[in-house]
Amino acid sequence: MDKTVLITRPEYDAPTLYLSKWSEKIIDEAKAKGIKVIDLHRDKANKKRVVGTLEKTNTKLVIFNGHGSDIAVYGQDNEAILETSDAKAVKDKIIYARACRAAGVLGNNSIASGAISFLGYTEDFIFFRNRNDESQPLKDKTAEQFLEPSNYIAISLLKGHTTGEANNRSKNLFRKNIEKLIVAGPISSDYQTIRGILWDMRNQVCLGNQNALL
Amino acid sequence: MAEEKDIIISEALKDLVTERLDLLSPELVISIGSSGTFTKSELIDHVKKGDEVGKTIVKMELNFLMALKDGTLLEELISDKNDN
Repeated sequence: MDKTVLITRPEYDAPTLYLSKWSEKIIDEAKAKGIKVIDLHRDKANKKRVVGTLEKTNTKLVIFNGHGSDIAVYGQDNEAILETSDAKAVKDKIIYARACRAAGVLGNNSIASGAISFLGYTEDFIFFRNRNDESQPLKDKTAEQFLEPSNYIAISLLKGHTTGEANNRSKNLFRKNIEKLIVAGPISSDYQTIRGILWDMRNQVCLGNQNALL
Repeated sequence: MAEEKDIIISEALKDLVTERLDLLSPELVISIGSSGTFTKSELIDHVKKGDEVGKTIVKMELNFLMALKDGTLLEELISDKNDN
């Protein structure tokens, strides 16, 4: 059976633009591995499309980008696209939500509803970025400290690692970024972002099966 | 989550956090989920007001300072790195 990944990429403010652009690296990796990608970009990142696709296809890996809360993740224009009531949509899925706090109630509820694993953040997902690079997110070295490690959950799963390994490998990249900044010291303009990198690293969790594979 | 955010921020803690925020490079902004994107001066204002954004920033700062104080930051940095 062909492997399929669904990814949502709302894009309507600066944070979602950054997440969307950085997700292109995930899409490129999937395509390079011969994995089918259902890319729900901008207006396609809506509830009807997301839930309908998840319920009707054999998509196993689902990657949400965007804003989030304890009980939902949001798509284009802040529409809730996955909520605690969407039990059928999450069944037998590996879900990664790069969204604030989605690994709280929504994550645990998804596991209880039959999701295999749910990776995400128990607190707000934050990232620093350089205002001079707002028009070119992929060149923003400050944002890279946050978005490359968080990307690596998805990349690692696409490479064939387990959900638990993907979480650990991602955290290792966060650690390495902290190390680099500590070595660079306060002279680095990004030195003060260590607090944010540590925050995301510590709040990143893998719920459910730690040994699941795409 | 709501309970966790109902922390009371003392004036001394606000002073500590705002002093540290003042060290941020002016070209940096921080995106905090759907709460928005904030400059250094805006962050300082939120901390002084003690609103939800301010509480998140205080929690993040305390998380970092406590990790430095109790040595867990060092422990985490030297923990298993063999997965990569």
